[in-house]
Amino acid sequence: MPQPMLDRRGFLQGLSLATGALLVPLAVSRSVEAAENIVEITDWIRIERSGRTILGLSQCEVGQGVYTGLPQILADELDADWSMVSVEFVTARDAYRMAAANEELQQFVGASTSTTVFHDRLRLAGAQAREALVQAAADRWRVRSTQCEAKNGRVIHTPTSRSLSFGDIAEAASKLALNPHPKLKPPSERHLIGKNLKRLDTPAKVDGSAIFGIDVRVPDMLFGAVWMTPTQTGKVKAIRNEAEILARPGVKAVVTAPFWPTPVHNTVIVVADSYWIAKQATNALDVDFDPGVSATLNSDKIMKDRLAALDADKAVVATEIGDVGKVLAAAPGKVIEARYHTPYLTHATMEPVVATAHVRDGEIEVWGPIQGQDMVRWTLAKNFGVPANKVIVHTTFLGGSFGRKYVPDFVLHAAIASKAVGRPVKVIRSREDDMRHSYYRPCASARMRAVLGPDGYPTAMHARVVGESLYAMIKPKAMQAAGGWDETMLDAIYDLIYAMPNLTVDNIDVKQPIPVSFMRTVGSTSSVFFLESFINELADAAKIDPYLYRKHLLAHDSRAVAVLDRVTEAAGWNKPASSGRHRGIAFNLYTGRGGAFESYVAHVVEIEMVKGRVAVRRVVCAADVGTVVNPGLVRANIEGGIGFALTNTLKSEITFAKGAVEQGNFDAYPLLTLAEMPEIEVVLIDSDRPPQGCGEVALAPVAPAVAQAIYRATNKRIRSMPFENAANTLRTD
Amino acid sequence: MQFHLNGRPVDFDGDKQTPLLWVIRDWAQLTGTKYGCGIAQCGACTVHIDGAPTRSCVLPVEAVEGRKVTTIEGLSKDRSHPIQKAWIEKDVPQCGYCQSGMIMAAAALLQEFPKPTDSQINDTMTNLCRCATYHRIREAIHAAANA
Repeated sequence: MPQPMLDRRGFLQGLSLATGALLVPLAVSRSVEAAENIVEITDWIRIERSGRTILGLSQCEVGQGVYTGLPQILADELDADWSMVSVEFVTARDAYRMAAANEELQQFVGASTSTTVFHDRLRLAGAQAREALVQAAADRWRVRSTQCEAKNGRVIHTPTSRSLSFGDIAEAASKLALNPHPKLKPPSERHLIGKNLKRLDTPAKVDGSAIFGIDVRVPDMLFGAVWMTPTQTGKVKAIRNEAEILARPGVKAVVTAPFWPTPVHNTVIVVADSYWIAKQATNALDVDFDPGVSATLNSDKIMKDRLAALDADKAVVATEIGDVGKVLAAAPGKVIEARYHTPYLTHATMEPVVATAHVRDGEIEVWGPIQGQDMVRWTLAKNFGVPANKVIVHTTFLGGSFGRKYVPDFVLHAAIASKAVGRPVKVIRSREDDMRHSYYRPCASARMRAVLGPDGYPTAMHARVVGESLYAMIKPKAMQAAGGWDETMLDAIYDLIYAMPNLTVDNIDVKQPIPVSFMRTVGSTSSVFFLESFINELADAAKIDPYLYRKHLLAHDSRAVAVLDRVTEAAGWNKPASSGRHRGIAFNLYTGRGGAFESYVAHVVEIEMVKGRVAVRRVVCAADVGTVVNPGLVRANIEGGIGFALTNTLKSEITFAKGAVEQGNFDAYPLLTLAEMPEIEVVLIDSDRPPQGCGEVALAPVAPAVAQAIYRATNKRIRSMPFENAANTLRTD
Repeated sequence: MQFHLNGRPVDFDGDKQTPLLWVIRDWAQLTGTKYGCGIAQCGACTVHIDGAPTRSCVLPVEAVEGRKVTTIEGLSKDRSHPIQKAWIEKDVPQCGYCQSGMIMAAAALLQEFPKPTDSQINDTMTNLCRCATYHRIREAIHAAANA
């Protein structure tokens, strides 16, 4: 059965300061009486006798808006009364799982696929339930179902205008077989899809009642804090003062734990009566540790490795069209070359990784901000020897994720802590350990070479991207199957949309002992910076407007041309920017992993240089993301995506010294502030394609557009992120 | 050790060096106030102390003895504060984790500047939002000021 979530207002109202120690579980069992009043129509839809319609949500809410957008699709096809709808997270059924690029079915959020993948599934479920409700009403009235229609939570007998609420007929409908091929609504009959409905999660997020992972409280719960070795490959050898720590008032246990997926124990967890007691105890730990193979790792060495790879004789070829070598050799002195660099980054979610677990005999229950429900099941099943279906997963709201909370390391920590004490434990990682023990967006470097024809357009391009491979760690089989190159490092380059008669794209994995994983927009935040910056440089070399240059190279793709036309129109590209402002442009066809979708995005940015610093004043975005289920949600994803990308572009850099991450908090890893947020205008292009991805697609073109604007302002080419790095300010090329 | 929490007197008998944030969250079980950084950088832990916006993650609870602490749960009973209404109207939150702190900071801003300029908003609203909802936060503050 779908797991009922506790009513959030009820949670808050249930708290009483007078009682002090009141414990309220996050997910309670519905009372028997309530259970009798509710029936399940499909995996996704349960209806109470009162008419309250509970829509299942399989995709975790990380801020992207699925808590509203997916139920909106379901309710539209169901013809539900939106004011009677509530949403509950559901799990542990195949209906809620999807396959990522031919892999095992799993329940997860990732790669901007939720709306694209679940759109069809939810429409089908909504239509099946609607037909069952209509049939149940027709049976009750003893009339033909073709004389009945569903509307706004009721079924109406059209000839007599009689009507029944969904609640009245839900029980009868639940006993009918579902039609495997129900009639789906034509777009003209949609009453919710396309509407700018308010987010259903906003009320709970403005009064403090939304329950995030860090807010979970279950009966008999203890708290855990962690200490982790500073190096990436460290190993705990001994806790010199373990007895002393255990003797502290309130401390219940001290236990070591590995750093997923390695078996090496680099973590010490102190379990105590309160988080603050546990945290103070971890601060007092005296740990003897082996720094491991990364002891000598530093950022200079990582850069040297990448520079060597850029000029290596051999690389793994991903794409070979025509004969680039011949064209380049035939144009001595005319080859345009540029090198670009991006650093390691971390997600820096506002809510650090945190989970609550209760390991019992043959069963484990977990609560938390979980992006991969089945990943958690598989990981805990393997580590504790219980069947995966005996791992009960409760998903809370996620205080940001951006890919981070798909990795199950923090849930494993909570389970190990729970097993040590035989009680539920909530383990909260400190900001410092969250930042220093993440799974980073890998660094990358590129060497781009091209030759222009007499008309100024490229006749050949050689793109080489090197860096630590994400797929080599996460999806080695996919990398092998492709022939040894990592598609995430070459996104938008290996499958280049620009017209290019001769093209070579190659790739080198520069291995480092640094854990890497998915972060919002994945490799494109590097590869599109390389590609689009280079396209801007080629346009400048050809002395052709970079908008018209792209339009020429994209003339074969009308959707690409449309976003370029619309963004320049909205930005006033053909008129000069106001005094002191400078513009840049970039484009991206964002292809969903495994070809899941195609979203087209173009940005025009306007900047000012203020005392040698870049101030981004305005970003205009045109996007074709297919059918827009909820314009407000899509705009929010684009607005926030641009802000997220500006943090990456201007500020973010994870560096290493003596094997350790140097940044530990927001003072050293600053985020964009409100004062630095530009004006944003979003143009959504009308489309009859199904919904395409939108959560990640606004990010990648931001950096190259800003770099181009800086060039217009200063005549400096910024080819290395983050742009605010001191080395860039000094650069005079 | 006594202080007022959302209008009620409370008596905390634990370690007086405990940061106010953890007293609010774990002892009083008001979890709307969030932990984000622990060094007063991000503002997710912002509460009002005698009406002034304060980052509670580095403030020992003994510092609020006898004083009035207001958390997001105490800002209004029914999301009726003008800032909360504007936040709903503009659909500001994305993940929502920073928003309690944002709202407490914005409510204090309106106390000081009932019609804040963009420049006053820039100088005052220094809380961090990783989802970058800043665009709508600014709109919502102006909307609340003009409501």
